[in-house]
Amino acid sequence: MLRSRKLFGSVMSVILLGGMLAGCSANGGNVPPANGGSAAPAQQDPANSEERTLKIMTGVVGGKTPEENVLFEKEIERLTGIKVSIDKPASDYDQKLLAAVASGQKFDLLQVSKEKMNTFIDQGILTPLTDQLNASKILSDPSVIPAAEWEQVKTKDGQIYGIFTKYQGGTMPIVRKDWLTKLNLEEPTTLDEYYAVLKAFTERDPDGNGNKDTYGLSTAGMYEVQGFFSAAGLKQRYVETADGKLDVPYSTDAAVPVYEWLNKLYKEGILDPNFATNDTGKMRNLFLTDRVGMITYWDAWVGMLNNTRMEQDANTAFEAKALPGAADANGSHMLRRGDPDVWVIPVNAEHPQTAFEFIEWWHTQDGIMLGSLGIKDNDYTLDNGKYTLTQTGKEHASDHGVPFWYNSNVEAPFGKLPGVQAAQDLVNQYASLELTPPNWSEAEKIINEYSFKAILGEMPAAEAVKKMREELKAGKLID
Amino acid sequence: MRAVFKFKTLYLMMVPVLAYFILFSFYPLARGLVISFQKYRLIGDRPFVGIENYASILKDPFFWDVFRNTIVIGVGIFVINFILPLLLALSLNEVASSWFKKITQMIVYLPHLFSWVIVGGMWILMLSPDTGIINQIIQLLGAEPVSFLSSDRYARIVMIVTSGWKEMGFTCILYLAAIVGINPSLYEAARIDGANRWQLVRDVTVPQLVSTMKVVVMLNVLGILRMFDQIFVMRNGAIADKVDVIMMYTYQKGILEFSVGPATAAGFLVILATLIITYITRAVIRYDEG
Repeated sequence: MLRSRKLFGSVMSVILLGGMLAGCSANGGNVPPANGGSAAPAQQDPANSEERTLKIMTGVVGGKTPEENVLFEKEIERLTGIKVSIDKPASDYDQKLLAAVASGQKFDLLQVSKEKMNTFIDQGILTPLTDQLNASKILSDPSVIPAAEWEQVKTKDGQIYGIFTKYQGGTMPIVRKDWLTKLNLEEPTTLDEYYAVLKAFTERDPDGNGNKDTYGLSTAGMYEVQGFFSAAGLKQRYVETADGKLDVPYSTDAAVPVYEWLNKLYKEGILDPNFATNDTGKMRNLFLTDRVGMITYWDAWVGMLNNTRMEQDANTAFEAKALPGAADANGSHMLRRGDPDVWVIPVNAEHPQTAFEFIEWWHTQDGIMLGSLGIKDNDYTLDNGKYTLTQTGKEHASDHGVPFWYNSNVEAPFGKLPGVQAAQDLVNQYASLELTPPNWSEAEKIINEYSFKAILGEMPAAEAVKKMREELKAGKLID
Repeated sequence: MRAVFKFKTLYLMMVPVLAYFILFSFYPLARGLVISFQKYRLIGDRPFVGIENYASILKDPFFWDVFRNTIVIGVGIFVINFILPLLLALSLNEVASSWFKKITQMIVYLPHLFSWVIVGGMWILMLSPDTGIINQIIQLLGAEPVSFLSSDRYARIVMIVTSGWKEMGFTCILYLAAIVGINPSLYEAARIDGANRWQLVRDVTVPQLVSTMKVVVMLNVLGILRMFDQIFVMRNGAIADKVDVIMMYTYQKGILEFSVGPATAAGFLVILATLIITYITRAVIRYDEG
């Protein structure tokens, strides 16, 4: 009896240890077998003698669920002949990317923001792609990616390390156009006109429920207030001055009137008092539930906000519309362009040529349809050239990492949601990128601290700006 | 060696646990120590830079800001998490109604079971200047609403009070368990000597709880420098300078900036500081004397 107990104990220990070690193995899950599919794979570049296989880590590109991600991998193989394994964490992408790369996992392709790309360039862990890019018939074609766009990702020495995964939009004030119409108000252009409109939204019962329960403006902290600082011609984050120095425009004296204007909104109850604690989800909900007449957010969301209300009520009067922000003394506007997401190839990639081949394909009709609509016969069907979304496809809202793209030769099969095109036109007309150096998070903390103090009235705006600047200098965060 | 062989099954059963700790605690700790002396790159060579990472952290004014915040908030939480549960446990011990006692215990214990994502979100809602219940009560009393979570004045207090609220139930259970274990003959003897209710609490219950108090003190001290979840969930740009703690700093350095060397160095400074504080606390409260 004792011996059998000992034997049982020993067996259990070995099983437990074995199970644990198995869980730690590098490839816990089986990669599904390739799907031969009916479509002919893309032609392999004759100069590419590598094994046609790729290991990719992405934040948003891929299936919406782990199951769909497997189909996504198979679809890439069907369309390109490249066997792909996509690691797409459900959350905390940067954290998992850091852990995966640092632990020695080798990836052929990574999807990262421009900010992270700059950090990686500083660490010298990315492959420069400039020469390949110049030699690429697809990517050097300005109808695929407009030539001016490359300036966004060029380093000071003119090298390019990252290639766009999609068209990245910009941010702007989004107004309730139907409220403007109801209150007989014109679209505002100057800060004073914005004040008048926002005050009316707060005091003149735009939702018609007889209660004073609306705010003119809501934001998610200091997130995306570029549209108002536009009145002073000030760019968010960093700019490089004419003499090559880095500066933070929000910390200059020119910003004082804008802080004072925002403080006036706060004091008069026109600015949502929760703006400091709001996240973007709360801000959007306030807009969608008739509590707020204006928010500051992304161009693509103009369409999604309109679509959400239309899905709830097809006859809704709700109309979100993008505005170009407040004009400066010369009548110019300044909006913020979002940092682009890019594909980068790490220096230790095992299949760099195949990775580049994939990036080229990603910007073709097939690649764009996969990144937007999704997987054929899962997200959409194609019959005689006519695309039809399946129920799954509708739920996935034509976004598998590429809601919008650069390639002007590829038509969007279902057009754009209401209001999006006008918003994108504003981005193209007025938006530009700001600089985001690697120590931005330290600077952001100081900028936020004193911006909030000025807006909440805890400190006069001029003093807040002065202290902000002093601390940025003391921290060697500006030159 | 013979003893090892004799109890080989037991030792074998320990292997998974040991393997777990080696893989997920000791190895990362050792690797972390190495990294804290390296100029860390995600890929490629990582040259040793001596104490450069530690020096850069110690010279960084942001580190000392967050260190100060950590101490202020940590001590506040330590005090509130020591006193309130003790008072609650002593009060509950005096309650005769068993169902009331059980329900109260359950209610105060519940927040401990929720993550800070839930608890923090709840408090952000409750403290909202316009729709939050706390401000509605304040307005009912005729006062102006207060922006608790965007005001420098209240930020740290809110962190301390909400932490006390969340963890009070857990510590209270420790005290209640210890109270149940007190020898009833001590109370009987005190009553025979004419002790009243207050004297029973002061002279019997509280002295008998000293060893539990020491455990609570040690548990709280160990956690002072490790605060993260609560601050991560409840902070915002307006109060970050008042509530950001050391672990937020390491998060910012390591995850947001990918400066893994300095982040790891900051992490080891936390471990070192915790060791020192723990050692001093053990000596002060004479932890080993029971």
